[in-house]
Amino acid sequence: MSAGGTSTARPVRRVVYGERLRRYLGAFATPRFHAGGGLLLVLTMAALAAPLIFPGGVDQQSRDSFLPPSPGHPFGTDELGRDIFVRCVYALRISISLVVVAVPLAMVVGTLMGLAGAVSSRLGDAFQRLFDIILGFPSIVLGICIVIIMGPGWASLAVTIVIFSLPQFGRLARAQLLSEMGREYVLAARVLGVGKGRIMLRHILPNTLEPLFVQMSLSMIAGIFLEAALSIVGLGIQPPTPSLGTLLNVGIRYVYAQPMYTGGPVIMLLLLAVAFNLIADALNAAVLKTRSEA
Amino acid sequence: MLGFLARRLPSVALMLLVTSIVAFLLPRLGGGDPALVVAGSDATAEQVEAVRVSMGLDRPLVVQYVDWLSGVLTGDLGTSLISNRPIAQLILSRLGSTLELAISATILMVMFGFALGILAGSTRRGVGRAVLDAVLGALVATPPHVTGLILILALGIAWRLLPISGEVSILVDPATALSYLVLPAFALALPQAGTIARLIQARMYQVQQEEFVDLARAKGVPPRRIAISHVLRNSMGTAIVATGIRVGELLAGAVVMEAIFGRNGLGLMAVDAVSSRDYEVVQVLVLGAVVIAVVVHLFSEMLLAALDPRIRLDLS
Repeated sequence: MSAGGTSTARPVRRVVYGERLRRYLGAFATPRFHAGGGLLLVLTMAALAAPLIFPGGVDQQSRDSFLPPSPGHPFGTDELGRDIFVRCVYALRISISLVVVAVPLAMVVGTLMGLAGAVSSRLGDAFQRLFDIILGFPSIVLGICIVIIMGPGWASLAVTIVIFSLPQFGRLARAQLLSEMGREYVLAARVLGVGKGRIMLRHILPNTLEPLFVQMSLSMIAGIFLEAALSIVGLGIQPPTPSLGTLLNVGIRYVYAQPMYTGGPVIMLLLLAVAFNLIADALNAAVLKTRSEA
Repeated sequence: MLGFLARRLPSVALMLLVTSIVAFLLPRLGGGDPALVVAGSDATAEQVEAVRVSMGLDRPLVVQYVDWLSGVLTGDLGTSLISNRPIAQLILSRLGSTLELAISATILMVMFGFALGILAGSTRRGVGRAVLDAVLGALVATPPHVTGLILILALGIAWRLLPISGEVSILVDPATALSYLVLPAFALALPQAGTIARLIQARMYQVQQEEFVDLARAKGVPPRRIAISHVLRNSMGTAIVATGIRVGELLAGAVVMEAIFGRNGLGLMAVDAVSSRDYEVVQVLVLGAVVIAVVVHLFSEMLLAALDPRIRLDLS
């Protein structure tokens, strides 16, 4: 590579990066990934299309409360005669929208904070101390603090998920940074006089991305479970808006009269967990495979 | 050991300092004026001001913080503005319920975590490996509240084996108390046990690659003895620290468990206090939860340092 000539450096990197991406994509196109991705796609489409599939909306009532599951009402009806299955599908909208907004945000900010050590080691250390402090707060305790400051609702749940996920990405990125810093290509870039910020974003970042995607999948399901936990105790989404947590909050009170009031949201949570875990597994296997080939 | 403590102390002290500041600020950040709450809604502006001065709320924040912290450190946790009772008394009345749940869950977590971890760490192939991996995967992927709800549906509703809501003090009627404790304690313990088991398993696989294991095998040491006194012994450190880290999440899980299983513990008290804006109670409980998590973590690290001179002397 000639010194300083970006015109000669760029095509080389593009070829290497394209090759790497192709190998990576090839590695996670496994049955496991297709099963998880397919399941997630079905759940997401159902959530998005809920108003089209169920034009009656979440509040449409039938005359009978606590009907047992039947073809017309797969999960039965609740205490007001509303269809529990419909409410569960609508609840997916909240779960999915929360993590789709919060987790990528946490990933971007957390990764940059984790890689900050490449620019200034003092800044990098400071961020790691911050992560230690966040990790000291158990998830629900963190949620309680945010709810007090912001009031309960979608926004405070999103902020809780962002703060809760930050250290996971930050620490992972930091570990990657430390292992990449000693590599020859970083040394080469430094010798060529490439700036610290550029080394961090253009050289180290592309080499740390794959494990971060595994973490993103895991953080998304963790965020969905956190919404459920906070809403069950009444500190998350507020009834009557259906979220998987608020449904459980009410459902557990009627568990004898209508077991599916609890069972329905649990089934949805488990389906989401299976989908995200299959995807994380496949992504992780792809990382290990590309690493061992490289 | 003192050297080890001295190295760890700054970060622990920073953690406790930040937590105490966050806890102190919670009522201020939550909005609402404590003086207004105490004075009542029909008090005049002068009366509210008088209450504010008498409560010391007119002083600078730093003075109030030091005052509050020194109170907490000497056992004066303050007074609930809503129920007008000392917070220490409120906490003591609920402590028993949470202690019963937390202790039984911790015992189950350690028992199942270590047993499953050791089993998985010494089963390397075949059907046993596949079954254990599937079980651990399922435990780790299902958080306490979902595990709890599944247990309720399975053992409380489908088979009416165990009570699913309420509690009896273990001091009053131990047998009944245990029957009420079984489901929440298992729900709380199993996900953490899965995580601990995974870490032990990974560590044991790692130790099995070490050269001293090859040497022992070459010398003709029986496999069972290698597993116990060579591999397991060198994996215990991971197991202990893993347990220490999980205690914080166990406490967090207890909050949700108490809501689901209708137990009147400190977790439910914290949630109710948030809803009724009784922030003076919440701040003490938040501080308590984080302090317990941090101290247990530090304790587990000290235990590890006592067992492993490499950690104690910072050689690794």
